[in-house]
Amino acid sequence: MMKARHWLYAAVPLTAAFFSLCMVIGALWIPLKAELAQLLIDRSWRKSLAGVEDARPWPWADTMAAARLSAPRLGVHLIVLEGNSGRNLAFGPVFLDGTANGRDMVISGHRDTHFRYLESLRPGDRLGLTRPDGQYWYEVRDLEVVDSRYSELVIEPGIDRLSLVTCYPFDSPLTGGPLRYVVTAVPVKQPRSLSSG
Amino acid sequence: MSKQPSIRDQLENDAWRKHPKFAARWAGNRQTRHRRRPLRWEDRALLILSAVLLLLLIIRVETARAESPGDELWGLEFQGGGRTQRAVAVNTEMEVDVTGLIARIDVTQVFHNDGFSWAEAVYRFPLPDGSAVDRLRVEVGGRVIEGEIREKMEARRQYQQARNDGIVASLVEQKKANQFETRLANIPPGEDIRVSISFLGRVEFADGSFSLRIPMTFTPRWSPAGAISASSTRFTDVAESGDHFLTIAVDLRTGLDLASLESRYHDIDIHPTLQGYHLFLTDPDTRTDRVFELNWVPEFGSTPQSTLMTHDAGDAVYAMLMLAPPLAEAIDPQPREVVFIIDTSGSMEGTSIQQAKAALRQGLEFLGPEDRFNLIEFNSKTHLLFRESVPVYPAYLADAADYIDGLKANGGTVMAPALRAAMSLPEQDMLLRQIIFITDGSVGNEHELLLQIGDQLHQSRLFTVSIGSAPNAWFMSKAAEIGRGSHTRIGKLGDVEERMSSLWARIENPAIQNICVDWGMDAEFYPEVIPDLYAGNPLWLHARLPHEPREVTICGELEGRHWQSVSRELPGSGSDSIAMLWARSKVEALEDSRIFGIDPEAVRQHVLDLSLEFGLLTQYTSLVAVDRLPSRPVNSSLESGEIPSLLPAGSTTAAGFSQTATGWLAQLILSVVSLLIAAGMLFYLPSARSGSTRSPLASSTS
Repeated sequence: MMKARHWLYAAVPLTAAFFSLCMVIGALWIPLKAELAQLLIDRSWRKSLAGVEDARPWPWADTMAAARLSAPRLGVHLIVLEGNSGRNLAFGPVFLDGTANGRDMVISGHRDTHFRYLESLRPGDRLGLTRPDGQYWYEVRDLEVVDSRYSELVIEPGIDRLSLVTCYPFDSPLTGGPLRYVVTAVPVKQPRSLSSG
Repeated sequence: MSKQPSIRDQLENDAWRKHPKFAARWAGNRQTRHRRRPLRWEDRALLILSAVLLLLLIIRVETARAESPGDELWGLEFQGGGRTQRAVAVNTEMEVDVTGLIARIDVTQVFHNDGFSWAEAVYRFPLPDGSAVDRLRVEVGGRVIEGEIREKMEARRQYQQARNDGIVASLVEQKKANQFETRLANIPPGEDIRVSISFLGRVEFADGSFSLRIPMTFTPRWSPAGAISASSTRFTDVAESGDHFLTIAVDLRTGLDLASLESRYHDIDIHPTLQGYHLFLTDPDTRTDRVFELNWVPEFGSTPQSTLMTHDAGDAVYAMLMLAPPLAEAIDPQPREVVFIIDTSGSMEGTSIQQAKAALRQGLEFLGPEDRFNLIEFNSKTHLLFRESVPVYPAYLADAADYIDGLKANGGTVMAPALRAAMSLPEQDMLLRQIIFITDGSVGNEHELLLQIGDQLHQSRLFTVSIGSAPNAWFMSKAAEIGRGSHTRIGKLGDVEERMSSLWARIENPAIQNICVDWGMDAEFYPEVIPDLYAGNPLWLHARLPHEPREVTICGELEGRHWQSVSRELPGSGSDSIAMLWARSKVEALEDSRIFGIDPEAVRQHVLDLSLEFGLLTQYTSLVAVDRLPSRPVNSSLESGEIPSLLPAGSTTAAGFSQTATGWLAQLILSVVSLLIAAGMLFYLPSARSGSTRSPLASSTS
């Protein structure tokens, strides 16, 4: 009798604990998935470069690696995917639809997983982009915060440019805000100095 | 809480009552008893806290899922309070000015903010394929936002500058090829919004008939009842109130007599004018729910006609000269020498060579009894079937047919000798030489080839037929232009017959050749190489002249004889479209001049100057919308800070931003905190059970 009544009292905190635990796992799964997917996609990218056909990162994957983006100074290497969807964003940065093979490219990524490092980019930093058609080098020119309610990304087919976009502010606990952090980089001939390829 | 006390309660109550020390308090203060049975305040606080946390977690999960799909509608879309609300125009006025093959279309739409608060809205308008808005004017709440053509980088800099100055700037954009979109902020309550845009539409000409198609703002009734809550009815749904009108006025300056003129989906009133026709919609209650399509067929006479229209722009006079051919039946077909050139290089392997052979066989069938013909095959080498062109005798035709059957695609693509061979064949009794050049155009030396064609063409005419799925269409059409012929494209085997017969119908009746125009003064006119005039295909020339022309003399060869005609200006004929048409033809000529080795940077500068002078949207310019507020009071700056100010647009595309935060850290912190609290409660409860001092029963029995 006594025990039953105390378990009743315990039911609410227990449920709360159960849900909380689920949420903890769910929350941890996001960065874990982001890292794991990058590992698998990186492997499939190398395979497809080596000529292996159907080099899908995992058997049920419906996305393909489109390019490899690196920031040598920060030692960051990421595989960029095609298809600008929330689902693909969880696995890696993505090309804005239609820009993957153009000259004016836009890559979006999550500010709290893959594109966290945008915060540390400085004007003058080199960015490398390897596409199936070759390797391109860019230099960071502009870092700016824009309000997505009042501006839109303009893609000019005739301009050589690489834009990296992520949410802003970086540490905000809230998601869905209107601000975006846009890194604009322009093409350069040669990498200035390379610590790693 | 149950009324029935448990056995434990009864025992405890008994103990309370019996205990001498607490008996008095028991009698005087029954509330102390209640303090024990429900949760203590710490428990309550914890429970409430955990319930709130639970709720928060659930809400978080829900919001993480919420995504709004966006469907696109034309018209104005008000945005506010997290909802969007669409309105159709109260009034749509459309003015269409057709000159030659270009229509200048001005659209003015009026919307109304029927609400009690300031609003933001998105304006969308459908455009014909290939059109771009090059003029823009928005009047709202006393402000005027006006578009100007600027150099692209300059536009970008201004936009950047405005943003750096703290002015919220936004973009006028053309998201897709057939859609114009702009964002309007700060629409005052109860005010009208007047949006005027202007763009150029192409008049299609095919098979002797002209047609102009203008898409309309079709705004379906946005309805499902649940989608719009009571509070959002603050904007007029004009579709419901039913008092919106469409007016269309078309000024058709054809310079031609028409055999027929009709609007496909609307009833129209037609009033003839000196240069053409004025058209209006008959029904005053027309809605903007249908495409407006106008078709007209010119009436060709038995002789060539010409029409001259001018526009005096002050420093110069712009002129448009149109030449209309006579009816096909009125022209005696002239015997010709037809030289077929066929590409049998390796790139033609597969379906391309089949199409090319089919086209050749068709071509042989079309030859007239007095024509002469020849056939040249080339890959790495050039081979002439006959040393010089032969009459159309059955034996020669049989030879040609056998030869065509035996053709195989193999080897490289060396075009130059084949073209030279065709253009330098011995002349045949002054016959007009038409070269039918069938290839996929996969060459690397286009520039040299085009120069060669210009050099060696003499009296020949070059008609290019491009074959295959990915022909070098630019080279093929430029070659035809320089060769004073035309370009035909055959995409698949099934197209061969139709395309070849239409090519044949076009070229077997050359009405006037070797056209020359004497403007009576120094004139800069385009196209510089005047093509021949063929039955059913009018021709337009655009000129810039120092002053009004008194008369323009046109000469040429009609049916092998010299022909001359004098054209006088139609009075009051010109709109400023004529100047713009001249500028457009000049831009095209300038861009082509790069082929002939003109410095690209000089061309760019030239094209840019022209674009800025004539307000043309080219690859170097953008439309920038500037907020004009000449008399804005200084203290209203707060308001103006919210006005979208400088807006580059043009042939670019634009896209929205993705949602790029997962919020996993916040979720992690939140859930860890709630986990800790829940765990804390679990640990706290057993300690409450065994806490001896809390229970009087325990203390009394120990």
